[in-house]
Amino acid sequence: MTGVIKSEPFVINIGPQHPSTHGVFRIRATVDGEKVIDAEMVMGYLHRSMEKLAEERTYTQNIPFTDRTDYLSSMSNNLGYCLAAEKLAGIEVPARGDAIRVIMAELQRLASHCMAVGAFANDTGAWQTPIMWTLREREKILDIFEVTSGARLTCNYMRIGGVAFDLRPPFEPMVRKVLTELPPVIEEIEQLLSGNEIFVSRTRGIGVLSPELATNASLSGPMLRGSGIAWDIRKADPYCGYDQYDFDIPIGYRGDSYDRFIVRLEEMRQSVKIVEQALDGLPSGPFCTEVPLALRPPKGEAYARIESPRGELGYYLVSDEGPSPYRFHIRPPSFINLSALKEMTVGGTVADAIVVLGSIDIVVGEIDR
Amino acid sequence: MMPFLATDKWYDLRDLANISSAILDGADRILPFGLVYVLAALIGFVASFLIFVLPSQLFVGVYGERKLIGRIQSRYGPNRVGPFGLLQPIADTIKLLQKEVLTPTRSDRLVMYIAPIFFVAPAVLLFAVIPFGPNMVFADIPVSLMYFLAISSLPVLANFMAGWSANNKYSLFGAIRIVAMTISYETPLVMSLLGAVVITSTLSLQGMVLWADEYKIWLAFVQPLALVIYFICVSAELNRTPTDIAEAESEIVAGYLTEYSGMKWGLFYGMDIGYAIAASAFAATVFLGGWTLFGLEKWVPPWMIFIGKTHLFYALFIWTRGTLPRLRSDQLMAFAWKYLLPLALFNLFIVVTERMIWSEEGYDKAYIYLFAIFNILVSGLLVFAWARFNGYRPDDVPMRPRLVKEARGYVPLGENE
Amino acid sequence: MDGFGVTFAFWILAAVTLVAGSGVMVSRNLLHAVLFLILAFVGVAGFFVLLSAEFIAMAQVIIYVGAIAVLVLFAVLLTPRASRDNSETVWALPGMLLAVCLAAIFLFVVHDTQWKTMTDAPLLTTQDLGRSLLGTWVLPFEIASVLLTAALVGAIMLTRSAEEEAEDALA
Repeated sequence: MTGVIKSEPFVINIGPQHPSTHGVFRIRATVDGEKVIDAEMVMGYLHRSMEKLAEERTYTQNIPFTDRTDYLSSMSNNLGYCLAAEKLAGIEVPARGDAIRVIMAELQRLASHCMAVGAFANDTGAWQTPIMWTLREREKILDIFEVTSGARLTCNYMRIGGVAFDLRPPFEPMVRKVLTELPPVIEEIEQLLSGNEIFVSRTRGIGVLSPELATNASLSGPMLRGSGIAWDIRKADPYCGYDQYDFDIPIGYRGDSYDRFIVRLEEMRQSVKIVEQALDGLPSGPFCTEVPLALRPPKGEAYARIESPRGELGYYLVSDEGPSPYRFHIRPPSFINLSALKEMTVGGTVADAIVVLGSIDIVVGEIDR
Repeated sequence: MMPFLATDKWYDLRDLANISSAILDGADRILPFGLVYVLAALIGFVASFLIFVLPSQLFVGVYGERKLIGRIQSRYGPNRVGPFGLLQPIADTIKLLQKEVLTPTRSDRLVMYIAPIFFVAPAVLLFAVIPFGPNMVFADIPVSLMYFLAISSLPVLANFMAGWSANNKYSLFGAIRIVAMTISYETPLVMSLLGAVVITSTLSLQGMVLWADEYKIWLAFVQPLALVIYFICVSAELNRTPTDIAEAESEIVAGYLTEYSGMKWGLFYGMDIGYAIAASAFAATVFLGGWTLFGLEKWVPPWMIFIGKTHLFYALFIWTRGTLPRLRSDQLMAFAWKYLLPLALFNLFIVVTERMIWSEEGYDKAYIYLFAIFNILVSGLLVFAWARFNGYRPDDVPMRPRLVKEARGYVPLGENE
Repeated sequence: MDGFGVTFAFWILAAVTLVAGSGVMVSRNLLHAVLFLILAFVGVAGFFVLLSAEFIAMAQVIIYVGAIAVLVLFAVLLTPRASRDNSETVWALPGMLLAVCLAAIFLFVVHDTQWKTMTDAPLLTTQDLGRSLLGTWVLPFEIASVLLTAALVGAIMLTRSAEEEAEDALA
């Protein structure tokens, strides 16, 4: 009976213009009817050769570059780069600087996850309602960033040795406001989506990532945690004094898109906890150590990694005692996370491929640099 | 005839049939032989479509929907154009009229021009049989329910023609999916309406309204399951979320409307809303009691009551659109065939048994209320039981992830902390 | 039914149906042929209305236009493009010959029969239709339903993919 009706596979392009906010990224999918047989990723639409340009600029001048790689979490990028440069040059950061860095990184995680959760809900088709609610909260966080660093999106706030400016008076009440108003919105999103039968049937069992594949492909972030692997660089390899704060790592059950979604929601709750603790115990003192303008670190190399909202963000710097780095390399979490995309999408339908891509939460700026 | 405060004078607006019959009588004396039919058709078009549907479409469908969805999304809707944004639909229409209409050269031009017409015409035709009041039906045919079903199977062809004429592999793909989905949802739709027909024993819409008036109960209470199935099926037929794999970006394959721009697209979009209004009007007539409101129609003009009910039902469409995510197309069809169709058949079984009991008791009025209570309870039970039978296990879905304290690698399921 | 309106409608419907019918034959593009066929169906539904058989008219639209035309469209769509036009074939001449013969037979029958004219149309309601379908003609009705079910099951069997068949074989 089978084989009587022939069908031929054909190739469609998913991208580079996405309906949802993932950026310019292309998947060439070979589709047989509705099923995806093969998925090939084409990247490079946003390549800006940051790594090469960084070799012409001093260490401090490179900080704005890092803003623009993962433009949805610029504070985290700044932090990673400053940690790498400090490791290379052997500079200590004062306690107040560390605490401010932690607050900013966690606030950035909240903002980035707001966007990720909203865009994911958008991909499943919930007509912009969840994204409007989460973006409203993100606006408050972006206002906080504007008050502290002068910019909403590409903050350029961290400096090698601490942070650029001290906290201004409107900072604390604004952060407290966010901490009280954000958890109810997370509850609302949970009520609206996590219990919704349609959402569950769209995301549960879709894009299952086994723990073996996750470890072998060196994935990180919510993708790893969604598959049940408890690994968080803030706990495993603490930086900036993260070991003084008390928080949990959320892990998922089976590694499907639904697990990644609830892991992100829970991470938002944990970030709120961390910001509360950091704000309550904010030490006084200098916020930045004095560092010469044209920093010339000794010969050597350093690799520093942080837990950015998307996963393990690593910076690799090689110095040759000049004012600019000899080599500047970014280990982008989105790029490494995408290597598992093919296994996750093959066998599902085109609609599922979109949902899986949304659950990986990529930012093309850091894939292509 | 029921006690009705409207008189026979032509200026009595509570019964609009007076005006139209006065005009037609006058015209019959003046006009040459046969032209009065044309005038009757014109009056019907003006009265039903231009006075009722088009403003409803523009103000409730375009403006009201955007405002309501905006409020659901915690933002204002349109509020720039005119006071409170009330002129927004006019602005949209003007914009669409002056847009350049691009037709691809290799497409089938004739079919591409005809498709919007094929889409608009049934929407206008549907309003011919809907009763706005005791005398205000344009065409009181004894099979108006079937007329509605017949006409609502026509837009499918228009969708298909639109997708095919674009000469684009992807819009064809999208059109096939839409057609498959629409015909899958027609079957539970007909089955659910059959339940209503069995209880009221009439196929005409005016008859159903008079039945609701006689027994002083709405069919929504006697047949709640039929109403729910009708709502789901009709929102699938209308391509509204959560079943709108057609209009929203059809995931990646661009839908059947890609090659349409300007007013041609505007016709598709507007008539989408027009169909939704027609389906709401139909539901208001069959399930929500039509132009009666337990006796209130003596004072309030019945067509106002009817329009209010239509818009109330339409607000349900807007509500589900603003909140629910979209279903995948194979999940949609599985839902229609595996869940809705058996549910509609169960409903039919129950209602036929009830009708038999009722006819043996001599059509006693009290039995209808008993049936209503019984049906509401049984429908709720049936929906959950059938869902569980089909594999719906809500307790199996964890709402929160597991929490661990240290980073120690893979934590298998069942082990915690 | 009598009156100017009825006659007028009859002639209009006749013209539309005949033009649609010939359009099915004449049009080169297969999809245009299907669209003309739909128009012909709607015209026939109009004739049913003129004969006071509204139920049948609506059933005609639902079944023929809503289901059968969609089926034909699917068939047109899913077949390879090569055979998608109504081009000249060698069967044109025998076809026309057959059509002429059939037309001759019909005309002869129409001319020769003693048509009984009734002054009043018997008002058959839908209730009467239902009663006769489930009373006198219940056996053909049930056989038709069984046939439809067999067709449905057969269609599903034909389109099963290899994995689904294997799944069922073990179960």
